[in-house]
Amino acid sequence: MYIYSGASQPEESSHVDDQEKYEQFMARIEAGEKIEADDWMPDDYRQALIKLISMHGISEIMGALPEKEWVPKAPTLKRKLGIMAKVQDEMGHGQLLLRVAEDLMRPYGKTRGDLMDDLLSGDLKFHNVFHMPTKTWADAGMVGWLVDGAAIISQTNMLDASYGPYQRALQRICQEEVFHAQHGEAIIMALAEGTEHQRQILQESLNRWWSALLMFFGPKSADTTGSSKQDIMIKYRIRKSSNEELRQAFLDKYLPRVFSLGLTVPDETAHYDEEKGEWVYQQPDWNEFKQIIKNKGPRSKERLRLREVAYENNRWVRQALTSEAVGS
Amino acid sequence: MENTNEASFYQEYEVFSKKSVKAPIQHQFSLLAPNEEMALSMAVENFMRREDVLDVWVVKRSNIRAMTSEERMNWTKRLDNKDYRRTKGYGYLRQKWKEKEQGMLDEKEIMSWKEVKKK
Repeated sequence: MYIYSGASQPEESSHVDDQEKYEQFMARIEAGEKIEADDWMPDDYRQALIKLISMHGISEIMGALPEKEWVPKAPTLKRKLGIMAKVQDEMGHGQLLLRVAEDLMRPYGKTRGDLMDDLLSGDLKFHNVFHMPTKTWADAGMVGWLVDGAAIISQTNMLDASYGPYQRALQRICQEEVFHAQHGEAIIMALAEGTEHQRQILQESLNRWWSALLMFFGPKSADTTGSSKQDIMIKYRIRKSSNEELRQAFLDKYLPRVFSLGLTVPDETAHYDEEKGEWVYQQPDWNEFKQIIKNKGPRSKERLRLREVAYENNRWVRQALTSEAVGS
Repeated sequence: MENTNEASFYQEYEVFSKKSVKAPIQHQFSLLAPNEEMALSMAVENFMRREDVLDVWVVKRSNIRAMTSEERMNWTKRLDNKDYRRTKGYGYLRQKWKEKEQGMLDEKEIMSWKEVKKK
């Protein structure tokens, strides 16, 4: 536990001091040391972390909100309990991560309220997959299996991140994600070994999700979409691998399992190139990706509305807990 | 958020928990809550659904005087000359006792003296 005390404001130090501090900072992260909330850090490190962690945190919540809608629709009590447990985990992850982001934003005087405002105004993005519609129970399984699978690939890549509070939160989050992965697999396995109709809705679901899954890891380079934070993230030892390396790792782990269930992907060219040692696949439509993360995706508005409704519906709880209400 | 009173509504709490009777209390994470009862209930509900937990503490962050970044840096630069405080500084006794055909009363030996012979 490291408490931001405001002791080392970036503007207090001169340029020469900064250079020395920067070298010390780089030496520390290169030696595998962890940076804490109140340690000196370069501004672009702080900003990259705020962007990454607030997006990660808010995406946990934006994913849990539509997922909870599956509780009444899930086919059995066991599935309902499983989804409820997962939704509760995701909300917990959101809270853990928002705290990490809040401590980083403290020198800028920003709070959780500002993050929520930024979400509604579109300044704070949430993950592309949570802008997409879910149509059938197979989609609920697909989100649990492959969307969570993609998230696990990108999050485990940061288990050694240089920023201590994030790295510690990720240990816990990834442990709980193991349960989520198996929960998703269980839904998929039941459908894959089920009736003709069940196998059909499963295949349709994978067809629907395929391009969103490829997009999940972001473009290969900044040339595709105009901006990419991957270089700074690698330089500052926040993550280890590039977007494309992570996408390849995802395909490595999951495509053999997809095929083993008798499923196909909606890309006839997709195959493993033995010589190059990588998966070949058709690029998703990155212009569509840009639209989606600008809150112009198929379900962007509905998902943001879910967040507003959740906030409005719980207003009475906050009001009941204010000191004025408790005192009267 | 109701920005008008947000600053005073939410407080930062640090959460600690204890796994077993023998385990030390361990820091877990922090959370925002309007009061300590809510902080405790959120800590348990949000973060301790699976693990074995015997006890949970929530402490208002402003009540903790932790080391600052500078203090931590200096702390790790302590001189490595504490042999006189450690058993390591008295290791030569092992050889001495051996010469006298006696065993060394080391940590392992002393910590095993929970029971003595009954009369």
